[in-house]
Amino acid sequence: MSSVGEEKKSLPVTVEKAIPVTYDLGNLAVFDSNILDRNDLDSSNGKRESHIRDLTRDNVQLMINQILSLPMKNTTEGAGSSTGQSASMTLVRLPDPITELPREKPLPKPKAPTKWEQFAAKKGIKPKEKSGKMIYDEEAGQWVPKWGFNGANKKLDSQWLVEVDDQPKKAGDELIDPRTLSRADRKKIIKKNELQHKRNLKGAK
Amino acid sequence: MIRTVKPKNARAKRALDKKEPKLTENTKQALFVTGKSSSQVLHDAMVDLSALKKPDMKRFNKKNEIRPFEDAEPLEFFSEKNDTSLLVLSTSSKKRKNNLTFVRTFGHKIYDMIELQIAENYKFLSDFKKQTFALGLKPMFSFQGAAFDTHPVYKHVKSLFLDFFRGTVSDLQDVAGLQHVISVTVQGDFEDGEPLPNVLFRVYKLKTYRSEQGGPKLPRVELEEVGPRFDFKIGRIRTPSPEMEKEALKRAKQLEPKTVKNITADGMGDKFGTIHMGKQDLGKLQTRKMKGLKAKFDQNNVDSETEEYLEDAEEGIQNGAEESYGEDFVTATDIDVGPPAKRMKK
Repeated sequence: MSSVGEEKKSLPVTVEKAIPVTYDLGNLAVFDSNILDRNDLDSSNGKRESHIRDLTRDNVQLMINQILSLPMKNTTEGAGSSTGQSASMTLVRLPDPITELPREKPLPKPKAPTKWEQFAAKKGIKPKEKSGKMIYDEEAGQWVPKWGFNGANKKLDSQWLVEVDDQPKKAGDELIDPRTLSRADRKKIIKKNELQHKRNLKGAK
Repeated sequence: MIRTVKPKNARAKRALDKKEPKLTENTKQALFVTGKSSSQVLHDAMVDLSALKKPDMKRFNKKNEIRPFEDAEPLEFFSEKNDTSLLVLSTSSKKRKNNLTFVRTFGHKIYDMIELQIAENYKFLSDFKKQTFALGLKPMFSFQGAAFDTHPVYKHVKSLFLDFFRGTVSDLQDVAGLQHVISVTVQGDFEDGEPLPNVLFRVYKLKTYRSEQGGPKLPRVELEEVGPRFDFKIGRIRTPSPEMEKEALKRAKQLEPKTVKNITADGMGDKFGTIHMGKQDLGKLQTRKMKGLKAKFDQNNVDSETEEYLEDAEEGIQNGAEESYGEDFVTATDIDVGPPAKRMKK
C-alpha cells in the first residue's frame, strides 16, 4: 500500500473547473453544472465508467476541501463508551441544508386556546408571573412547597386547634371535622380543573 | 384510511404520538414494495437500494397488485400504516421493463412519483465483491449535469435522491464518517425536444492519501466503485399540485434563527451595541447651578418671597448642610455654605 501512497503524494489536491461547482454542505452535496460530453458517457464507450469516476472524484475532492475548511470541534467520548477508553473524535460543524426538500408531514397545528385564554384575551388579562413552587414558612423558618408533599396548603389538616366560622357555609357542615373539610375543598378544585381540561380538549377538536 | 381509535394504554398512546406531525422531523423512512410482476433483477436492485438506506427502511417480500399511476390508494395506505414517506415499487412489464416507481408522500398522501427503469447496464453489490460501505453512515452526494438545476424532471430526480439517501440531518459530522459518495450523472447534455437522457447512479468508496501539495490538512481523494450501479431511464412522472408543494415546503417560524438587532461585531471580534435614545428636550437641560438663576428670583416675582428666602437661608446655614431649600434640583450642599474653593472642585 505504501507504494500506492507514494504515487499519490505528488498528485494535486486542487481541481480546475470551467464553471465553479456549487455546494450544499448541510446535505454533503456538490452540484456540478459543467458541460457533459454525450460521447464520453455513452454506453458503447469503453472508458465510460472511468470517465464518470474521474468526474465524481474531482467534485468530491472539491467538496472534501470545502468540508475540511469548515470549523472543527474536537470531542472526547470517554464516559459514555462501553470500552472505558477515551477516544477523540473530530467533528465538523456543518451549515444548514440549502436544498429545499418537502416535509414528511404538515407543520403541527398550534394548540387551541382554552376557554380561560379566550376570556383573558378578550378582557386583556395578562398571565400571572410565575413565582415558583417554594414559599417561605415564617413559623417553621424554612422554605416549603406550596402544594404536594408537605405542602403549605395542607397546613390546616394537622392542626390540633382549628378556627371555625360562626355561620357554616352549608347546612350540616357544623358536624363534620373542619380538617377534613379543607381536604374536601382541595379535591373539589382538582375535580373542577379536570372537568375544565376535558371541556377544553373537546372544544379544540 | 386507517380507523383512528383512542389509545387504551400508555404504550399505544406513545406510538400514536410518534406518528404525529413534528416541528423537527425524524429521518424519512423508506418502504420497498414488490409489485405483482416483479423480476429477479428488480428484487436484487431493491435489496441493494435498501442496503444503502439501512437502517431507515422496511422491505416487503410478498407481491402486491398496485398500479400507482391509476390508483395510488394502496400506497397511501402502506405509507400511513408503516409511517413511511418514501416508497419504492417494483414492476416489470413488456412496455416498462425493470421499472422502479419512486413515490414520496406528504401527510400520507402522494406527493410525487417518478418511474425509473433499470437499463441493461447494471451491476449489483455482490458483483463487486469488494469492501462495501458501512451501515448507517451519511453519504455524500455528487450531481453532475446542468439539467439538475434547470430541467424540472432532473430537478425532481435530484430532490428525490437527496431526500431518499441523505439520512439524519445534523449540524455535526464526524470526519471519519465521510466514507462513501453517491454520484448521479445526466448522460450528456441535451436540447429541448430531444428524448431525456438516462440518469447514471453510481456509488463509490473514498480513499484518501496524504498529499504533498495539500499539506497536513487536505488529502488527495481517490474513488473506488462499490456498487450498486444503475442506469435509470426516466418513465412516467407525477408532480405535486402547487398547493401541496407550497404546504410541504413550508418552514416552521419557530425554527428560523432570530435576527439580533443593534448588536454588531467588527473584524477584531469586538462587540458593538447601538442604543436608541428618546428625543432630548433641551428646555430641561441642567446647566450650571447658580442661586441667581433660580425660578424663585425671577424679576416678575413678588418681593415678599425673596425676603422669605433670606430668612430660610440663614436658618439653613445654622442647621448645616442637610437642609434643602425645597427646590427639586438644588440641594443645600450646592449653595455657598462651604468655602468657594470647594464648589469649584465640584
